[in-house]
Amino acid sequence: MSVIDLSALSARQVRDSIALGEFTAREAAEAAYARIEALDGDVHAFLQLTPELAFAAADRVDMARAAGNELPPLAGVPAGIKDNMNLIGTRTTCGSRMLENYESVYDCTAVRRLLDVGALPIGKCNMDEFAFGSSTENSAYGPTHNPWDLERVPGGSSGGSAACVAAGMTSISLGSDTGGSIRQPGALTGTVALKPTYGRVSRYGVVAFGSSLDQIGPFGTSVDDVALALEAISGADTMDATSSSEPVGSYTDGLDQGARGLRVGIVRDMLELEGCGAEIRASVDLAAETFAALGAEVGEVDLPAARHGLAAYYIIGPAEASSNLARFDGIRYGHRAADPADVLDLYMRSRAEGFGPETIRRIMLGTYALSAGYYDAYYGQAQKARTRIIEDFRAAFERFDVLLTPTTPEVAFRFGEKSDPYTMYLNDVYTIPVNLAGNCAVSVPSGLCSTSGMPIGLQIIGDYFAEAILLRAAAAFEEATGFDPIPPLVGSLNS
Amino acid sequence: MAKDRLTEVLIRYEAVIGLEIHTEITAVNTKMFCGCPVAFGGEPNTRVCPVCLGMPGALPVPNEAAIEWTVIAGLATECDIALWSQFHRKQYFYPDMPKDYQISQYDLPFCSGGFVDIEVDGDGVAERADLGGALPFVGPEAVPEDGGYRARIGITRIHLEEDTGKMVHVGGSEGRIAGATHSLVDFNRAGTPLMELVSEPDIRTPEEARRFAQKLRSIWLALGVSDCSMEEGSMRVDANVSVRLRGATELGTKSEVKNMNSFKSLHDAIAYEIVRQADLLDAGGRVEQETRHWDAGAKRTSGLRSKEEAHDYRYFPEPDMVPFSFELAWIDALAEKLPELPDARRDRYIAEFGLPKHDAAALAAEHALACYFEEAVALTGADRARPVANWMLGDLAAHLNAAGIEIVASRVTAAMLAELVGLIEDGTISGKQAKEVFAEAASTGDAPGAIVEARGMKQVSDTSAIEAVVRSVIDAHPDEAASYRGGKVGLAGFFVGQVMREMRGQGNPAVVNEVVRRLLE
Ligand SMILES: [Zn+2]
Repeated sequence: MSVIDLSALSARQVRDSIALGEFTAREAAEAAYARIEALDGDVHAFLQLTPELAFAAADRVDMARAAGNELPPLAGVPAGIKDNMNLIGTRTTCGSRMLENYESVYDCTAVRRLLDVGALPIGKCNMDEFAFGSSTENSAYGPTHNPWDLERVPGGSSGGSAACVAAGMTSISLGSDTGGSIRQPGALTGTVALKPTYGRVSRYGVVAFGSSLDQIGPFGTSVDDVALALEAISGADTMDATSSSEPVGSYTDGLDQGARGLRVGIVRDMLELEGCGAEIRASVDLAAETFAALGAEVGEVDLPAARHGLAAYYIIGPAEASSNLARFDGIRYGHRAADPADVLDLYMRSRAEGFGPETIRRIMLGTYALSAGYYDAYYGQAQKARTRIIEDFRAAFERFDVLLTPTTPEVAFRFGEKSDPYTMYLNDVYTIPVNLAGNCAVSVPSGLCSTSGMPIGLQIIGDYFAEAILLRAAAAFEEATGFDPIPPLVGSLNS
Repeated sequence: MAKDRLTEVLIRYEAVIGLEIHTEITAVNTKMFCGCPVAFGGEPNTRVCPVCLGMPGALPVPNEAAIEWTVIAGLATECDIALWSQFHRKQYFYPDMPKDYQISQYDLPFCSGGFVDIEVDGDGVAERADLGGALPFVGPEAVPEDGGYRARIGITRIHLEEDTGKMVHVGGSEGRIAGATHSLVDFNRAGTPLMELVSEPDIRTPEEARRFAQKLRSIWLALGVSDCSMEEGSMRVDANVSVRLRGATELGTKSEVKNMNSFKSLHDAIAYEIVRQADLLDAGGRVEQETRHWDAGAKRTSGLRSKEEAHDYRYFPEPDMVPFSFELAWIDALAEKLPELPDARRDRYIAEFGLPKHDAAALAAEHALACYFEEAVALTGADRARPVANWMLGDLAAHLNAAGIEIVASRVTAAMLAELVGLIEDGTISGKQAKEVFAEAASTGDAPGAIVEARGMKQVSDTSAIEAVVRSVIDAHPDEAASYRGGKVGLAGFFVGQVMREMRGQGNPAVVNEVVRRLLE
């Protein structure tokens, strides 16, 4: 085991230690790979390790330091990258057989930006196939295991990105969130997990699932690390017409300003949704008390349309996905069926062989929802529900700076526990409305379940482009709870 | 097909025709949603990038110049410009379409509700069997001076989309898919901005369809939005054709005819289709709704598929782009900047230069011709516009046609033609000499003045010099001179010819004529 324990250091501390010469970036990369060597056989957070890229990046950091240059904010910080983001020199499989041998031909903007400030690309993280799922059980390459309990799921779809940070294999990671795919695994693994405002981070280079919902965001073990990573990846991109030109402020500067004077709203009607565990419900009330004790003005608000979020999401998401996944047709790249009789046979067999069952289910759902004669009843209605959810949030943010809900209705579940798709979908009931509205939200660890010992996540939701206030509230909560969750697996390794 | 067969059919049946015209916006430097250059041909798959190849994770970014060109095209055809518009995805699988959906427009096109006026004259008028001798007040309006008529063709919409790649079928005949062993795809064209114009079904004859397509082409060329090459496929015209008995109010079943690579093909394909449908109906059969392919060699259309599949394109709003909203002031500014359009230019040529209507229309319709004409006239003077036009539509056109080149590639530039006309008009050379000078200039590219100089071709107009030659010719032919004086005045031509031969063609014909007659009297 290397002398450096990444799980004990924040990303900022890794960078500062390298700047101070306490260890080198190369040693940080070695520490990451050593921990992966020790744990990833059990956890399976990574689909592909990229030591050549990571050590080349580390050497650039070490040379920059040797030359006396000031190091960028994430210099030498080991990072995991969800396997739906393109990076030259890596395969981008999206957890699918369809793209098993697909080599990236260009760089995802957010990944490029993260690496441009010195982060080390340790490897590509496991995920539910094409980000369809909440457990990573839909990965074609086998599931990721939760470092807190290897019998349990880490959440998904960005389960590998959450697990590698929770297990201290990397300091930070990037995931993508279409209906909760960053925040839900963040909650289930006790990590800090942020979905930025739609348009805050360029989507160029992340393989599209739901184009109007997708957003890339960071995982970390602290709010400060997540803020650092957000600063690196945010901002307008000429390659993404939906990226926003809204100025990128400092997300780290105001983190120590506390919660005094913040208007915090508990979303009461969502807490009362069926299926929300009593302990989860209580954790949100406890969080509200914490905010009140910090000097925040705490109140209650309802988001009545949000209960339609799940239904609307399972029309809009699959509709967009069915279109975005059409390009995987066996013609130009990806899996191609052997000996096709004609082009139709080529299409049908390549797709049937390359896609897993959940992917096929979503494509069929979306294709049906957009079909002539059904469009108004499904897609049209879903867009109306979406508009109402947007209006609900808008009204709520006239009264409050941030809103509180659970991130998930329950803690991490066991493999195979949710065998029918619908109960699996219910796991995202709190996160989905935020994607439909386009707001930003973060999941922060708020405690451990008294029976299972698994982490619980608090979802804090912010207004459009109000990441600075959102993260300030999250940092105040983090500091007040003093909760620094370390999974037993990692603890045992360290002792 | 025999023309009278079409006319016979059109006496009993009314044809209802609408056109769909796809035009690549070649005025832009880059493709519709990426930075790849827009050009024709090239090594396959060399003008491509992750975006236009539909690689995973790539996103479209709209080319604002292409949108502006589409709005300009709409303004030039009297369309309403949408203040709020967006792209939709049109979804179907085909190997030439990288994303397996085409970014196009659906219920919110950039332009809608326009029109273009066409004029039909000459032989094409006969196709309008319903007009007969009595021109109706409503609908086509008579243009009495040339026996033709004018008609207004509605434009339903003009929208913007991305072009597909090109398939090359290998192993079959003539590159067709039938019998091919495999197919190759070239994505160089994929993502080229493509305007689709849909006309109202206001067209009634093949000739009207041709005139409408030609008129649009001349407008697009005047705007500069596209090079409009039907051969290279930058302008592609499809026709929806149906027929119904005259007097019927219900529309017949239509077929969609494709693959017309010239205006003549467009006319002939529609004419064929009208007769084919009428024959079917006459025989008690019925017309299938289908897509038919024009074979210019065999001069017939054939069904592409035995059974037309009903396509469900599953249109939905393109989520990778935000909708567009346009300021009225921006639209007004574009309208202000519209260049002179072909009809206005034709009318100006008639008013300003006194050109005959036919010549004016011919020059005004083709932007490159108009530019050439105006440049030459500017150099040689408005009073010489008519000879410039005559030369352009005569010798120059014949030369370009024979050489198979466009006017922009002509070795005889506008400046050279202006010089040539100047040499004729100021009497330096005769019209006959000018033809020789033109031929030499066209083959060598030398300036007319230099050619005249080098060949010593200057025309002799000096009366005393000509009188000396005429006297010697009369002296040499006393018998003919006597006959002339005896009343055979037709012999004047003989003397003129002898004089011109003596002068090696350099005598001013008008002066020679006058002197011959005077001295013979
Ligand atoms: Zn391109």
